[in-house]
Amino acid sequence: MSSSASFMERLGFRKASGVGEAGWGRTLFVAVIAFIYFIPVLFIIFTAIKPQNLALSVPPTLSPTSFFGLIPDQYVFSPTLENFGSVFSRSMTTGGAPEDTGFDRYFFNSIFISSVSVGLALIIGTLAAFGFSRYPLKGNDTYLFIILTTRMLPAIVVIIPIILMFRTVGLSGSYIGIILLYTAFNLAFTIWMMKSFFDELSLDVEDAARIDGSSEVKVFFKICLPQVVAGLAATFVFGLILTWNEFLFALLLSGADTRTVPVAMNQAVSSGGRGTDWTLLAAIETLFLIPVFLVTFFLQNHLLRGVTFGTVKR
Amino acid sequence: MTVMTKMKGFATAAGFAATLMVGGASIASAEDVVLTMAVPDWPPTRIMKKFFDEQYKPASGNKVTLDVDFIPWPDFYTRVNASLTSGEKKYNFIVSDSQWLGAFVEGGYFRKINDLLEADPAFMETFKSIHPNPLNAYSTYPHKSENYYGFPQFPDVLVNFARKDIICHDEEQKNFQAKYNKKLPCTGEELDAMTWDDFKNVGEFFQRKKGDMLAGAPAEDDFYGIAYQAGKGYDFSSMQINGFIWQMGGNTWDETQIPNGQAEGVVNSPEAVAALEKYLSLIQYMPPVAKTGTMDIFKSDELFREGKVAMNINWIGLGEASLDPNSSKVSDKLVFGQMPGTMGADGKMIRWSNIGGQPFVLTTWTTDAQIKEAVEFVKWWLSSEIQHQFAAGGGQSAVKSVYEDPKYVTYRPWNRAWAPQLDWQKDVWHVPQFFELLTQQQDQFDLAITGKQDAKTTLDNVAKFQQNLLTEAGLIQ
Amino acid sequence: MSSTTATAAPPALMTLAPDNWKLAILVGLAVSVIAAITFPASVSFWIVGAMAALVAAAFVVNAFRRKYYGGLLVAPAIAVLFVMNIFPLLWSLGLSFFAYQSNNQSIRFVGLNNYIKALTNDLAAEANWNALVNTAMFVVFTVAAQMVVGFLLALLFAKQFPLRKYLLILVLTPMMLSVVASGVFFTYYYDPTFGILSYIMGNITGEQFILMDNKLGAVAGIVFADAWMWSPFVMLLVLAGLVSVPKYLYEAAAIDRVSGWRQFWTITFPYIRGLLMLALLFRTIEAFKLADLVILLTKGGNDTMTISYHLIRIANEQNKTSEGAAISYLMLFMVIVLTNLYLYLANRRSHGA
Repeated sequence: MSSSASFMERLGFRKASGVGEAGWGRTLFVAVIAFIYFIPVLFIIFTAIKPQNLALSVPPTLSPTSFFGLIPDQYVFSPTLENFGSVFSRSMTTGGAPEDTGFDRYFFNSIFISSVSVGLALIIGTLAAFGFSRYPLKGNDTYLFIILTTRMLPAIVVIIPIILMFRTVGLSGSYIGIILLYTAFNLAFTIWMMKSFFDELSLDVEDAARIDGSSEVKVFFKICLPQVVAGLAATFVFGLILTWNEFLFALLLSGADTRTVPVAMNQAVSSGGRGTDWTLLAAIETLFLIPVFLVTFFLQNHLLRGVTFGTVKR
Repeated sequence: MTVMTKMKGFATAAGFAATLMVGGASIASAEDVVLTMAVPDWPPTRIMKKFFDEQYKPASGNKVTLDVDFIPWPDFYTRVNASLTSGEKKYNFIVSDSQWLGAFVEGGYFRKINDLLEADPAFMETFKSIHPNPLNAYSTYPHKSENYYGFPQFPDVLVNFARKDIICHDEEQKNFQAKYNKKLPCTGEELDAMTWDDFKNVGEFFQRKKGDMLAGAPAEDDFYGIAYQAGKGYDFSSMQINGFIWQMGGNTWDETQIPNGQAEGVVNSPEAVAALEKYLSLIQYMPPVAKTGTMDIFKSDELFREGKVAMNINWIGLGEASLDPNSSKVSDKLVFGQMPGTMGADGKMIRWSNIGGQPFVLTTWTTDAQIKEAVEFVKWWLSSEIQHQFAAGGGQSAVKSVYEDPKYVTYRPWNRAWAPQLDWQKDVWHVPQFFELLTQQQDQFDLAITGKQDAKTTLDNVAKFQQNLLTEAGLIQ
Repeated sequence: MSSTTATAAPPALMTLAPDNWKLAILVGLAVSVIAAITFPASVSFWIVGAMAALVAAAFVVNAFRRKYYGGLLVAPAIAVLFVMNIFPLLWSLGLSFFAYQSNNQSIRFVGLNNYIKALTNDLAAEANWNALVNTAMFVVFTVAAQMVVGFLLALLFAKQFPLRKYLLILVLTPMMLSVVASGVFFTYYYDPTFGILSYIMGNITGEQFILMDNKLGAVAGIVFADAWMWSPFVMLLVLAGLVSVPKYLYEAAAIDRVSGWRQFWTITFPYIRGLLMLALLFRTIEAFKLADLVILLTKGGNDTMTISYHLIRIANEQNKTSEGAAISYLMLFMVIVLTNLYLYLANRRSHGA
């Protein structure tokens, strides 16, 4: 037990306050379950490195390597990186020369639009959540509920007024429009989530600081915010994931220059006058997964650390 | 700072940024004309753009740019519809499905082009050289009237895709002959002569389990004789079923008979019911996905390219992928024929079929300067030389002088079926209620395809719905 | 609780003062409604916008005068939400009282007719009802599956163990996928000819296996795909709660020899209840909007039409904008009742605990 603990520490694991410990036995058990859970994703990633003509082979090819003969040959394919190249440049006409597909632009758009709007929503939403938590307005719950209702209707219902509004103000096809829209789109979740974190904090420390003469601004930045880092990280990750994959608004409000990857991805779903180009779709999705995967991975420590100040009330 | 000044500042900043970001796309000086076009993203439109960029020299001396927004197929309608109905006024040209004409003409989005045709005899002549069936389907509203709206972008018909390595195999030929006392079709001409009964025989004959002998070798996987569209999405069963109904003497609601043409009694006539029964009876011979109601044109194409079926009825527009060895396991084993027909009482084959393909149209907010250039562009596009190049690059042409040219059949293997099929094309429902008619009918057909109700009930429901809807809309009296 | 104290009495309702937000709302609403009825959309848009700005300005002035930090803090969020969400929502609420088809410029006031049609018309009401029943079914199944699976996954990861970090990210990945890609790949997994599921089942039973050719299979297929994608969402929220439970509570419980079950209810559950509620709330709301997976997997076939997909067809494909708006407001009403019920129960629990 102790040896595994020190091994963990060498791997850079930090212990969270309320977390018990388990050994390699648990690792093995969880690994099996996590792997099974991951299989559909793994299949997509493997499809991305499959030769195009094996995408629909029967029996399905499952692995780029036989793992020393563990997997029978009929399920093994030889990997290729060609599909990733096709994402950015391929022939768009029969027998034509490879053309730029615009995906470099789409990836930039997705990254730019998502990160700015989620960041904005986090700033505005955290302030609002703090307000709702510490300075309840008359009818606080009603406000919160109205904010929640903005997430309840299918996007298709509000889309026509929004398109109209964007056109009138001159925002259609621009970055600002879609960023503002996504900011609003994320606010409900951000506010609710951050409020639940602020609500859990103990007021004793804050009140002590106030008695010591700290300003409200200082209380917020120096005392409250550090305690909800986990909440910020979790909210950012969720917001990013939802925005990253948003489809309908992006389809209807982005122009050819501000188009995001989820919209452009349909190039591969109905590809060049036929059905799905499986390997191309898998390659796009695999590339598209990387940024959000990395962000989640690096924020994970925060996600899991929880509220470590030991100031949890109750 | 008050909120008002904040808002003002915001609006200014937003407007400024929007100009920066949208770019000067819509700002055109006297010499620079930009034509903005919404098109589905696929080779026929990519080729058009490529030809334009490489070859088009405007006679006016203006600098004409074709700004094409390539929108992926699955979202094309949603995007275009939202753009039009929200009043965005973004596009000058729109590739439209023929059936969308009514909905968007009535709404005032698509521009009538009669004045342009009359003002330019050369244009009129080119226009009239288009085969009347596609011309009526793609351009007239009300259907078959003298009001013109569109030009063919990619005209399309249903043809029979077949595997000659399977159907021409000696052993299979012999067994088929023994079983049905008829020759198993092998060449293009023999495919042309097929009736739906022959097609059914092929389906029944080629049902093979994995390991059964198929064309002299054990089948690697389950194999099926036939496939055609039988999916719930968009129009992925109606386009096939309409052909059956017309061929077997039934009819769909006839929009040229407004307001006297009825739906009830016509749509669910005994002939139409028999035709739908025939269509449904073939589904049992198709790959199992047909039973789930998701065998759309793409799925049947995929099954064919992966070598799971011997014959598939599909649009020419999906043909290129089957010829490409990268996407097709059968690229070197193909033979094409006309879609099967029904033998008439007089011994002549009846071949009615629903036309596919897309026209492109002009929108009403296009300025005069743009229209001048647009007309020049369309004339160029429909010119014999460009149409030949288009056909050689994988497109189809409905211009008479082009498809009648002996060279035409050499461009693609299915082109031999093109000209004769054109004479048998019809179309349905250019009325604004098109989408309601279509979704209800597709839902009902899906119930029949997945075995939940019989043909009679299905067509009765369809007829009743159409009668009500069209009466309410004043199209039936 | 807060240090704010009102410095001045709020103005009476009818006083003309810059901080009289109640009057501003009244005037704003009245002018907006009149404008929406009398002017064309392109003009009334600006009037309604100006009214919104007026109300917002009144709020800000009011907050400044009375040191409502709360008001100031939430103002930017409310402003963004108002412009981008609430305003379009109100717009479509207004449209639901008109006969309006977006591809046909005419517009006519019809009062409650759209609602009446949605609720009583032979064809429309039956389709709506059917879609609603299916939606309810999907909400129950998908949310239940996500809550159970998410909770179990969270329990797995609640303790520290070697390589936890790397295993956790594997489980989180499904929700990072774009729905288009994962949905399209699920059509592949379920495909009777090419798909892996049918291949495995075919090898086991020796017979052809078609998942999606009946309602049970189609629903199972959709629920599985949705639950697989979104269980990690629940897991992450629950996990955040689980790791925040102070360790000494468990140690104390161990000394008192409290049973595992009791330990869970008395120590663990209070810490995750709030987050569990949040997960339930958001997943229920999202489940009501289930459409994309249905479109990709069945197109609504095998009786899997959901209210949200039905709405897309009506409001978008058929351009019956106002009819769609009416249906969506009926739907909104139901979601509001349901979520209020949740919140009510949650609050009652927390007061009782």
